[in-house]
Formats: sequence, structure tokens, C-alpha cells
Amino acid sequence: MSTKDTRVELLQGTLDLLILRTLLLGPAHGHAITRAIEQSSDDVLQVEQGSLYPALHRLLKRRWIAFEHGTSENNRRAKYYRLTPKGRRQLTVETGKWETLAGAIARVLRPV
Amino acid sequence: MTDPLADLDSEIRDHLEREAQEHVDRGMTPEAARAAALRKFGNVMHVKESARAVWIPAAIDQVVQDLRYAVRMVRRSPGFSAVVILTLAIAIGMNTAVFSVVNAVLLRPLSFPYPERLVWLTASEAGEGFELVGAQDVIGWREATSLDRLVAYDEYDSRVLADGLVLPARLASVSDDFWDLAGATAALGRRPLPGQPEVMLSYPFFERALGANPAIIGAPVQVGNRRGTVVGVLPPAFHVDLVPPASFASLAPHEIDAYYGIVVRPPQNGMVQLFRVVGRLKPGVSIEAARAELLTIRTHTAARNPAIPFKPTQRVLPLRDKLVGPARPTLLILLAAVAAVLLVGCANIASLLLARATARQKELAIRTAVGAGRARMLRQLLIESLVLAVAGGAAGVLVAKACLEVMRRLIPQAVPRLLEASLDGRVLAFALAVSVVTALGFGIAPVFSVWKINAFDVLKDGTRTVSATAASVRVRSWLVTGEVALTLVLLCGAGLLVKSLARITAYPAGFVPQQTLTVTVAYNTNGMQNTEVRRREYAAEVLQRLQGRSGVHAVGMTTNAGGRLRLFVEGVTVPMEERPTVFHSSVSEGYAQAIGMRVASGRWLTDREPEAAFVVNQALARRVFPSEDPVGKRIQVDGPPGATAAAGAKFGTVVGVVADLKYAKLDTAAEPEIFADYRHANPFDMTFVARVDGDPRVTALDLRALVAGIDRSQPVSDVKTVETVLIDSIAPRRFTVFLLGTFAGAALLLALVGIYGVIAYSVSLRTREIGVRMALGAARGDVMRIVLRQGMVIAIVGLVVGTAAALAATRVLTGLLYDVTPGDPATFATVAALVAATALAACCGPALKAARVDPLDALRCE
Repeated sequence: MSTKDTRVELLQGTLDLLILRTLLLGPAHGHAITRAIEQSSDDVLQVEQGSLYPALHRLLKRRWIAFEHGTSENNRRAKYYRLTPKGRRQLTVETGKWETLAGAIARVLRPV
Repeated sequence: MTDPLADLDSEIRDHLEREAQEHVDRGMTPEAARAAALRKFGNVMHVKESARAVWIPAAIDQVVQDLRYAVRMVRRSPGFSAVVILTLAIAIGMNTAVFSVVNAVLLRPLSFPYPERLVWLTASEAGEGFELVGAQDVIGWREATSLDRLVAYDEYDSRVLADGLVLPARLASVSDDFWDLAGATAALGRRPLPGQPEVMLSYPFFERALGANPAIIGAPVQVGNRRGTVVGVLPPAFHVDLVPPASFASLAPHEIDAYYGIVVRPPQNGMVQLFRVVGRLKPGVSIEAARAELLTIRTHTAARNPAIPFKPTQRVLPLRDKLVGPARPTLLILLAAVAAVLLVGCANIASLLLARATARQKELAIRTAVGAGRARMLRQLLIESLVLAVAGGAAGVLVAKACLEVMRRLIPQAVPRLLEASLDGRVLAFALAVSVVTALGFGIAPVFSVWKINAFDVLKDGTRTVSATAASVRVRSWLVTGEVALTLVLLCGAGLLVKSLARITAYPAGFVPQQTLTVTVAYNTNGMQNTEVRRREYAAEVLQRLQGRSGVHAVGMTTNAGGRLRLFVEGVTVPMEERPTVFHSSVSEGYAQAIGMRVASGRWLTDREPEAAFVVNQALARRVFPSEDPVGKRIQVDGPPGATAAAGAKFGTVVGVVADLKYAKLDTAAEPEIFADYRHANPFDMTFVARVDGDPRVTALDLRALVAGIDRSQPVSDVKTVETVLIDSIAPRRFTVFLLGTFAGAALLLALVGIYGVIAYSVSLRTREIGVRMALGAARGDVMRIVLRQGMVIAIVGLVVGTAAALAATRVLTGLLYDVTPGDPATFATVAALVAATALAACCGPALKAARVDPLDALRCE
């Protein structure tokens, strides 16, 4: 577990991208999505858990993701979110945008 | 997709449990784990709101929340809510009921195609009772280019002989254009052909009287005295608004049972057929243009018919104005009155809400303290009012339904088209609009007290702030003052109408309408000629048979002012059209005694007059013989030949003058009348009058059987008391009195509640002050006086304002009053006393409560 100093708050708007990316691996419930984001970033990225749900609903409304009810590993009913084809296309677009942005920022910050 | 928000709660709970479980797995205690999970999650409420906000714009969401909150508030104080909703239900219900009548009578179009183009026509001037149009004018008007249809018609009660049955029925004789003008189609058979003696039956009659047997189509029938063929049956919903004959205008609305085609023939041998006339303007033609053309045509017609008297007068009115015009002022007055009741109700509710807003100051202050803006609070208060008003409005619709039923049952003949009144879409929209406006009206009041809330002060004190409550009492006092004033106006109006009614029904001595029975025989000649002798013999026989009955102590016969004729006085030459018109009745010797008519001078008629003799009433004497004694004058009347044998050529002598007596229509001034002895006349419709002892209803059945038994072929009407006839004649007036009285009563009750409410509230606020006063030596009487004075100041200011307003407002009633002035001091004084007594009664409870205050308790409790 990394120390508190190394944790980074998510940039505005990037949570949507991360959720889409996470769901590319398969349907997941809310808690699992947070966990996945945190683990795959080696705990660097901290999801403000509360902001996850408004973000999920934002994506639902745009029809990039859909949900269905399922039963989780320990036999509990849970709401599973999955990527829609539209969301899959959007993920490509968003990833492209992110890479452009990250590259640009990296170039700006590169020591002269 | 199902609602994505549906299981947000359980989803978040699930999330938190998983998070906590992870902590527990790492060795935390369950409590610490749950706390850590919550900490990491953030504000659950906020998360839920943000998620919801994705789908629902925040403003709408807040309104929904306010609505939920409002419904909860309404439920939490059921007593308060019940009072408000009940008040509203009654006030909105009465408003809706009156509006539904206004809607049916004044707003809904007539039941004809192109109702706005229909006109009612007559050749007489306004104020002349006579409204029929001569055949010559009907024939002339048919050529008018401004009209595309012209219908001559009449309606009367008679009977239909069909299928071997004799069926009493209301008949309409109609000219050819009627079917097009009324937009009639046949449900069975076909429409009558022009110029043919063909008969069309109404569906209800076909069903009721003929068992809906279609074999009637094509069968010969006799309607009234005419023979014809039934060719069709009208659809069940067929109904037309025609101007009924004046003598029926005030009676129960008669649906027509059978229609038969007539031909309008030109005048022959001085016989002129008379009709009611309705026309339809051509599209785009103004009523003024039609008037001008129709008058020109009449002038030409008159030139070709010099024998018929002609006056260049006529009236062409929209049919709707003719039908419902007279009811309009009354309905508008009632609408205003019932709106006043709503206003009084609103003032009460506003006053209640004010009291509650004061009591809720703390709650509202907390809401302000935790960040609710003023706008949000106002919206919430208004939504609470709206919830109450809509609940009240919904209950009001039920009340309206009941009210409407009562009105229709009680006095169906009071207003034309009343039976058509129903709660249609427009009426429901009205109820909703009234509810919303009401909510804004009474919802405004507490808004002011909220506006000034200072959360800090309210919360710091922990009790109500004194200045705010004092202001609230002041506002409430003004509201109640307004209520008292409005109530006084309504009561004055109702009082004046009640007094008019009492004046109208104050019968002169000797006239006992409730013990006087009448039965009418429309003597049927069955097509025979020269029937005067038969008619007289029939009348004589009925009179003689009635005379001997036990319980009957005076019997007479009259033709009941069957015609309006022109009066000739011997030796006075004036042109025909300037001769006065008078009502004419042929009567028997016993009539004056049976009906209760008083002979003022001269003598009454006998059944053995050697030559035609007349008695006139005082109204005629005043008008025709203003400075002479009518007794001994020689007069004659024109009119349909045979109405009076004397009318043909001979003059008869006036032998007496009788006092005016209103035996048929109560609320009009006495008309000039002339009575002729029936032995020299040819009585058509004979009305037999019997003064009876005991229960008239019992005697009535007996009499009818007796009269019907004398000649089975004669149609005998139901036996009625004269009182019934008279009461029916003032049905519109009774309707108005009944409604205005109800409204005024409701307002008085509301005012009572209002005064009680504000005084009781004020006493509860002043308990401490009263305690101090008593501790310092005030007697219980003094305390009571203080409370009563507070209430009576409100009442007296209300009385003064109300009296001034009533003096102005009751003037609109002038047309409805009878023998009473709009500012009648006795009525005003009585009403003022009633209101003052009510106010005093309302204050008594709180005053007694104040007097019972125990100074020790009062001082200790705060």
C-alpha cells in the first residue's frame, strides 16, 4: 500500500474514461469498478467513491454503458454495469483524446 | 430499461458493505470498518442527489421533494387540514356548481347547428306580452334574402291517439324548415316531407308510450285534432331549444313528445294564424341588416293586407338572448355572490395559515439556518397551499355534483336549460383554476411572516417572537373584518330577496290558494261545428256535479285569461292598434267566491245575465277609466270570433269592479283584466276552481276522477292547488333566494369560525398578560370585557364597511326586488343585528376561557 503522499486525485472528466476502460474487461458492480481502478493504477489513483455513482448515471444516460442485475461471488444481488457498443466506440475516442492531451502536457513539461 | 435510480439506495448500501468487509478482512472491528467505509464514500445524501440530478433537473426534483414534504405536513396535522379542505370543498363546490349552471345556460351554444346565426322574431315591441307573429308576416319573411331558414311553430299540451291508445303528450307544430334548422335526422323511418301531415315522435315518447314498437312507423295517428301518419322517430339525444309559450315559460321544462308538419296559410275571412318564429341568418349577414330587411317586408305585407292592424314594431334578437337573456343578470349575481363566499373562506384559511406560520416559525428558522433560501421556503409554503387547495378542489367537485343535483331536483323550471348543466371539461377546468388561484390567494398570507424571519432571533429565544405574533393577530383581524363586511353584503342581498318573496306571497284576505284546487279541461270538439252550446252545457254539468261534493264549498269556472284582446268602449273612437289590450276570461257565477276575488264596486256576474255582462278589475279601471266609474259603461272586445258572443258586434255592460288578484303569476304587476259571463261566451280551455276543506291532495284525486268521468273523451289535466301554480310562477325567484340564502348562510358560518379563530388565538397568546392583569386585581368580568371588546371592534368595523358596500351592491338586485327598496332599512338593521349577535356568540367561548385563567398558572407556565 502506497503512502498518502503518492496518491493523486482524479482529474475532472477522467473518471468517465477510467470506468469505460475498466468495463472493457467485462461487467462489474460499483465497488468492483473502484477497486479495479485503484488496483490497476497501483493505488496511485484514488476514486472519490461517492463521485463514482453520479458518473455511472452520467454514462448510463449517454447510453455508453448499460446495467443488469446479477448475483455476485458471495451470492448477493448486485447491479452489474457493462459497456455498450456505443460506449466501446466512445472509449476509443476518449482514449485518443487522452493520449493527445497527455502527450501535449508531457511535451510542455519536458525539461528544455 | 428499468429506472436506473430505482435501487440506488441498496446499491450504495451494498457498496459500503463490501468496502467494510474488506476492512474487516484486514482486521478492523466491524464498527471501525463501517465508519472507514462511510468516510471514504463521502456524503451519501449528496451522492444520491447528484446521481438523481443526472436524470432529473434539480429544480423539478426540488419541487417533487417540496410536494412530498407538503403532503407529509398536510397529513401530520389532520385537524387543521380537515378544516381547510372542508372549507375549500364547500366554497369551491358551490362555485363550481354555480359555474356549471352559468356554463350550461350562458356559455354552451344552443343545441342547433349554426347556433350563433339563429334569431328569434316577433312583430311586437318589448314589454308587450304578446309575441306571436301573424301568418301574413311569416309568409312575407320567407322571401327575405337575409334569412336562409324560417320556422313557424307552436307548442302545447294535448294528446296523441295512436295504436288504439289515448296518450297525453306535448306537441309541437312546425313548418317545413324546422327539420333543417334543428339539424334533425331520423333514428327510425325518415323526416317528414314538406307540406305533408306527417308526424315525427321523440325517442323518449316512442319508448315510454309506445313500447319502442317500430310498427308505429307508417301508422295513422291523431295528434291534437289533426290526423296524420307517423313517418319517423328522432334520435334519443335529439333536443331543441325553442322559445316556449309564455304561459309555460316558468313551468317545468317540457320536452316535446311529437312534432307534426304544418302549412302556414295566408289570412282568410279575418282569421289569422299565429306562430312563434325562429329564423337562421345567412352566413355573413348581420342582425341589423336582417332587421332592416324584415321591417321593409312587413311594411309591404301590411300594404297588401289592409284589414289586419299594423304597427311598424318588431324585435329580432339572437335566439340565445331570447331564451336565456332574462336569466343572465340573476346568474351573474349568483356567481358574484358565490365568489364572495369563496373569498370569505379564503380569508379564514389565510388566517389559519398565518396562525400556523407563527407556530411553525421555529421549524422554518431551522430550515433557514441549514441553508434553505427564502425563495425555496416561499415555494415550499406555496406548494403546501397548493396541495391543500387541490385536495379541497377535488372534494369540491363532489360537493358541486351534489349541489347541482339538489338544484335540479328542487327547482328544475327555475332557469332555462338548467337540466343541461353538468360537470363537463370546462367546469372541471374552472374548478382547478379556482383551486390554484385560491391557493395563491391564501398562500400569500404566511409568506409575509416568513419573509421577516430572523433565524437567529427565533432560535435564540426558543419561543415565538412577540412582535411577529402581534403583527399576525393584526393581519388576521383585518382579514376577519373583511369577512364580516362581505358576509353582511351577502346577507343584505339575501334578506332583501327573502323580504320580496314574503311580500309576493302575502295573499290578500279571502284568497286561500293552498285550499283552492284547479283542474283544466281542454274541451275537445272532435271536429264538430257550432259547439258553443255543448261547451256551456258541459261546463254547467261539471259545476253542478262539483257543487254537491262534501268538503267542497265553492265552485267556479274560468277560461283563465286565455286571450289578450283589444277593448272597445262605446262612444270612444280610437284606431284599432291604440285600443288597450286586456286579458279576457269567461267565468261562472261561483268563480269569484271560489278563487277568493273581492268585489270592489257594483256586483259580480250571475249565470243568468239577460245579455252579455262584464266585470273588470281595478288595474283595467285605472288604465281605461282613470277618472270615471266603469260600472254602467258599455264595452266589447275583439279577438277570435266566438271567444265571447258579445265580441262579435254587441256591447255589454260593465256591472262591477273587482280588486286585482294575482291568481296565476305572482311577481308581475296586475294586468288589466275583463271577466265575461260564460253563458254568453264560447269557453275553450275550461278551468274549474273549487275551494275545499281538509287535505287538498285527497280531494284532488276525487275531483279529477269526477271530472274525468263526466265525459271520457275530454282530456283532463292534473288537479293542482292554486298555490302550486303560483309557486311555480315564481320558480326563478325561489331559485335565487334559495341559492343566495345558502351562500349568505355559508358566509355567516365562515365568519363565525373566523372571528372565533382569531379571538381564541389572541386569548391564548395573551394568557400571560391576562394573568398579570388578574394578579394586579382585574376581575373576571373585566377580562371578559377586554376579550369581547376586541371581537366586537372587529365586528363593528366589518359592519360599517359592509353596510356601505351593501348599499352600493344591493342596487344590482333592483330588478329582482318586489315591493322592497334596495336600501331597505329594516332589512339592513335585521342583518346587522344578526351579524353582531353572531360575532358576540363567536367571542363568548374565548372570553369565558380568558375569565377562567388562573393567574398563578399563567405566570408560572412561561
